[in-house]
Amino acid sequence: MPRILLVEDNEMNRDMLSRRLTRRGFEVAIAVDGREGVEQASTGEYDLVLMDMSLPEIDGWEATRQLRANPDTESLPIIALTAHAMAGDREKALEAGCDDYDTKPIELKRLLSKIEALLPDGS
Amino acid sequence: MSSYSPESGVPEAAKQLRHELRTPINHIVGFAEMLLEDSEGEAHAARRGQIEAIIGAAGDILKEINTALPPTLSEPSDEDVRALYAAFQSPRERVLASVEALRGMPDVAADEGFTGDLERIREAAEKLAPPGIATAERESSRQATDADRSAENGRARILVVDDDENNREVLRRRLEREGHAPECAVNGVEALERVAESPYDLVLLDVMMPEMDGYETLDRLKGDPSTRDIPVIMISALDDIRSIVRCIENGAEDYLPKPFDPVLLRARIDASLEKKRFRDQEVDYLRQVDRVIEAAASVEAGAYDRGSLTEVGHRADALGRLARVFDSMAGEVRARETRLRTRVRELRQEIDAARGAGTVAEPFEGGQLQAGETFAERYEIAGLLGHGGMGAVYRARDLELEEDVAIKMLRPEFIADAESLERFKTEIKLARRISHPNVVRTHDFGEADGVRFLTMEFVEGLTLRDLIDSRGKLGVSAVLAVAAQLAESLAIAHAQGVVHRDIKPQNLLLDEEGVLKVMDFGVACLSERSSTLTQAGALVGTPAYMSPEQLIGEHIDERSDLYSVGVVLYECLSGRPPLDGGSAITLIAKVLGEEPPPLGELAEGTPDAVCALIHRLLAKNPNDRVPSAAALGGELSRMN
Repeated sequence: MPRILLVEDNEMNRDMLSRRLTRRGFEVAIAVDGREGVEQASTGEYDLVLMDMSLPEIDGWEATRQLRANPDTESLPIIALTAHAMAGDREKALEAGCDDYDTKPIELKRLLSKIEALLPDGS
Repeated sequence: MSSYSPESGVPEAAKQLRHELRTPINHIVGFAEMLLEDSEGEAHAARRGQIEAIIGAAGDILKEINTALPPTLSEPSDEDVRALYAAFQSPRERVLASVEALRGMPDVAADEGFTGDLERIREAAEKLAPPGIATAERESSRQATDADRSAENGRARILVVDDDENNREVLRRRLEREGHAPECAVNGVEALERVAESPYDLVLLDVMMPEMDGYETLDRLKGDPSTRDIPVIMISALDDIRSIVRCIENGAEDYLPKPFDPVLLRARIDASLEKKRFRDQEVDYLRQVDRVIEAAASVEAGAYDRGSLTEVGHRADALGRLARVFDSMAGEVRARETRLRTRVRELRQEIDAARGAGTVAEPFEGGQLQAGETFAERYEIAGLLGHGGMGAVYRARDLELEEDVAIKMLRPEFIADAESLERFKTEIKLARRISHPNVVRTHDFGEADGVRFLTMEFVEGLTLRDLIDSRGKLGVSAVLAVAAQLAESLAIAHAQGVVHRDIKPQNLLLDEEGVLKVMDFGVACLSERSSTLTQAGALVGTPAYMSPEQLIGEHIDERSDLYSVGVVLYECLSGRPPLDGGSAITLIAKVLGEEPPPLGELAEGTPDAVCALIHRLLAKNPNDRVPSAAALGGELSRMN
């Protein structure tokens, strides 16, 4: 069962997305801010990270950069999530080291296809 | 690491607004899609219709947002924002209508998980209501996340007062979700009872209620000092301007018309709580300032309780520091006062004993003026008090001011020329400025029938000379009481530029309370020149109390008085002056060249520190003495 780490500070977003992904057969773990996200992702237990970009402590951009700088997590797939949906956000997310980018409101089908594309075979 | 920052250059307002609007849509769509998944099968066709309507409406809202706030938009104007909110109010209402329709379905109402998600959808839709508040307020509420708000506010105790059960319930649930601790009352009477029982941070008060309406409830809350500071927000369907004005005038913090806008309600509640918090802090601060002021008053009254400022002292700010320093200083003052009181008590015992022994010289008759005679057309002579070095001293009644005075006659030879007269007048003018409980006040200098005289405060009591003659050695505490008062009076006089020059037991009066009063400030200048070594044959009185520098006619300063104090204290403790000789010449020679015998040998039981201090006062060289009367007072007060 693929294991996804959801890094999200908004409780309702966390609740909603984790339930939806669980229904789709993923095992979902939660981190509530960037620092916790980096710590948990570094345990090596996850196949993919869904990273909200507006986070307390350290934001998603910085958390992503830290994960990319660590040899253990440099190739861990990360999908950036943001409700800002500003022009150029996608490019910036990729530049910061994210593998893909999606906007809120989440279109589950679209997000799932991005997740599937990034998951390693057989996970 | 590069300095790349994806946030730089992005207009904060547009970004925030987009985030703020898209997040609730994310919730609406997400929860609705889950509900849709849970509603498969023929039985749930009606549900699915409503849920799809919600998803469709949310999509319409998103379209409006994307149109009004394209990803490339820089800074939206206030007008853009208002137009945007207006544009998606219709789909937002469709969301709320569908939520209500779903709630009304019998099978839904029983499904707790389903209704929970419906509530989340409703809550998200309400976040899309028009702000209806000033841009600045919207900015601040936008920047404060829910977590911030609860951290700022803690769990505020809010009392909801409304006779309508649904209204109460809606408000209660909303406030709970905001992280507050709401309680409810069904009318004004119950509200007042609850408020009287325990403090609240805020009252939300309906206007139209049975029994006691919101106006009267507000009046009572604001009329009672114990509840006056609780902020009250009026909530009412009455939105006419007069009701609003009336409530604000009567002390309501704010006013919200029903149906209330949740964003507005939250902003107003937060603002009221914030104000209350500041007010509470201010009240608390002022209360603690009062504690320090009370403590200062109790120090004055001699009733300061050490440690009564402990609570204030725990503050980390300047007030806390003040309280800590104050407490320590006041404690020290208290200890000194206690010591002084003990000493004065012993002094009074000595005085009482001297009076009881009957050895105090009573006023004697035989002066030039007779009792009952009027002198200088103003003073009725009551009797002769004694003969000083300069002439007779009478007790008299000042007929003009109707008070008792002492009149000191000055023998003509002391004011032989105009120069001496001028000098004397100057000294007296200076001395008259000294006003202190330990100083006998000098009133007037006058001349009548060819006799110059001084009038001064009359003190009922005895001189230290009388006391020593009667008691012999005095107790250490009693002597320290004399010393402390003497030092204090000299410190005041010296500060005004007056050196006494003739400190001796005959010039120190003690009233029956043990209060010491120093006489004859300014008078000694008359005898000074004739009491120097160069005119030794014409010495007035005894040079036993004069400093070496005074005896040889050198310039003297306040330290000369301190030498005299040393002689007085030495004599009080040992019963004899530090140096004495058969004749004036022998005495002067000793004062100039001989050390006094160690006081400790003559006055057993006197603490070494006291002996050492008195010997320092008796140093031949003024530079070796205690430097000032104030310093002497300080050293005495520290002695246990």
